[in-house]
Amino acid sequence: MEKFILEETEDTPEITLDPEQNIFKISKISVPENALDFYKPVLEWIKQYAEQPNAQTVFEFDLEYVNTASSKQVIQVILLLQKVAEKSDVKVKWYYESIDEDMKALGNRYKKLVNVPFELIEIE
Amino acid sequence: MTPETGSKLFDIAYPLFQRISNDDFEYVYRGYFTHNITKKILFLADTNIAKVTYQSTLQKRIYYIMVEGLQNIARHQEEVASLNTEKYPGIFAIQKNGEKYYVSTGNIVANNKIKDLQEKLDTINSLNQEDLKKFHREILAAGSISDKGGAGLGLIEMSRKSGNKLLYNFEKLDDEYTYFYLQTLIPTDKNFGVADGNGDTLKSHSTLESVKQLHKQMNEENLLLYFNGFFNQENLLSLLAIIKGRMNMPLTTIKVSNVMVEMLQNIIKHGSKAENTSAGVSGVFFMGQTNKDIILTSGNIIKNESKATITERLEFVNGMPKDELSDYYDDILLDFDTADAKKTGLGFSDLRIKSDKPLKYMFMNMNDTDQFYILQTAVTIKN
Repeated sequence: MEKFILEETEDTPEITLDPEQNIFKISKISVPENALDFYKPVLEWIKQYAEQPNAQTVFEFDLEYVNTASSKQVIQVILLLQKVAEKSDVKVKWYYESIDEDMKALGNRYKKLVNVPFELIEIE
Repeated sequence: MTPETGSKLFDIAYPLFQRISNDDFEYVYRGYFTHNITKKILFLADTNIAKVTYQSTLQKRIYYIMVEGLQNIARHQEEVASLNTEKYPGIFAIQKNGEKYYVSTGNIVANNKIKDLQEKLDTINSLNQEDLKKFHREILAAGSISDKGGAGLGLIEMSRKSGNKLLYNFEKLDDEYTYFYLQTLIPTDKNFGVADGNGDTLKSHSTLESVKQLHKQMNEENLLLYFNGFFNQENLLSLLAIIKGRMNMPLTTIKVSNVMVEMLQNIIKHGSKAENTSAGVSGVFFMGQTNKDIILTSGNIIKNESKATITERLEFVNGMPKDELSDYYDDILLDFDTADAKKTGLGFSDLRIKSDKPLKYMFMNMNDTDQFYILQTAVTIKN
C-alpha cells in the first residue's frame, strides 16, 4: 500500500503512515479551522489499510496542540484502529509533555473510550 | 498594582473594541521584550498589514520601522536593571488608522539620559530628508557609534523611512526613571514626504496621548496583551507563539495556550465578519493577570439570533457538575451524526473543563441586528 505522508504546516500536523517502514505517526500541531476536511484522507487511508494491515501496528500520537474540532477527528482515527486490530496487533502510543495536563487528560479520555491497547507516555 | 478579579476586565472590553473603526486595528504588547517575542510580534504585525495593504513598499517600510522601534526598546531595556523593567513594563503598539500606520513604543529610561535623548530627537526633527541622509553618513564616518547605537542611528532611520518627524514624550515615574514614548507615523506612498501631524484628531486612537493612556490602562489592569482587529487563523497562531514566549511559567503557559486556541477559534467560527473586509472577524482579545489567575477576555459582534443559542449552551455547560460534563464531552466526541464540533458546544465544554471555572459572558445591544458578545475564562496560575 502507498504510504501517506504530510508535512506539518502552521496549523496541521505532520503525518507519516508508512507500512513499509512500519511507522504510523501524527505529531506536532493540530488546530485547523476545518478539521473535518483535513482528516478525511487520513481516515480513508486507514480504512484501506485495515483490509491488509501489517502484523503489528504501533500508532503514535505526539501532539503539542489539539483543538476540539481535531479531537473529534482523532477519535475517529483511533476507532478505525479498532478495525485494524481485527487483523493486526495494534497498539496506540499517546505522548504528552509532563507539564501539559490537558494533553494527558485527552489521552486518558481516548483510552477510556476505545477498545485498543493504549499507552500514555510522559515526556519531559 | 494587581487587580483582585477580572470583573473590571469585563467592563473594558466594549470600550476597547470601540476605540477603533471597522477596518482599522491595533495590537499592543506590554511587558518584557525578549528576542523571541520581538520576532513573533513582527510576524504578527506583518501578517496583518499584508492583509490590508496591497503596497509592498509600504509594508516593508512599516516592517523596518517596527524593527527599529523594537530594537530601540531592547537597547533601553538593557541599560536598566530588570527589576525596574518588571516594575515599569514597556509597551509596543502598531496601529492602523485609515490609510495611516503608527508604530509606538514606550519604555523606561534613566532620568539622567533624558536630556541627551531629547537633543538627539530635536536634532533629527530639525533636519529635512536630505540633511538626515548627510547626518547619517557623518555619524557613520565619525565611527562614534557605540555597539548600542548610542548615536541615534535607529532614530534617524525611523525618521528617514517614515518621511516624518518623530513624536516623543516623557512621563516621569520616580526619582530615577521616566517613561519615554516614541511614535512614528508611516504614510502610504501617495502621502509620503508630505508633512503630517501624527494622530490626526484628538479623539483618534492613534495619537501619542491615546497610546500613553492605553499603556496606563494596561498597567493598571495588568494587561499583558491587547489585540483589536481581525481574527483569523494566522493571528491565532502568532498570538499563540507570543504567549508561549511571554511567560516564565511553563505549566500556566500551556494551559493558557490550550484555552486560547478554543476561545479564538470560537470567535473565528461564530463571529460576524466585518463589512468591507475579508481579513477576518473583527473583535477584541486581551489577556490580563491577577495574583491568582491569567484572565482571557474576548469580545466580538454576533447576530441577534445567535444570542439565544450561545446563552443556552453556556448555561448548560456552566450548570453541569464536572463529572457529568466530562461524560457529556465523551458523548459529543462519539456523536458522529453531528460531525461538526461547532454545532455541539464541544468548544464551550472544552473551555469549561480546561479552565476548571464557569465561563463568564455578557451581551450588549449594539443596534437592531447585532450584539456585542464578551466571553471570559481564567486559568489559575501554577508554577
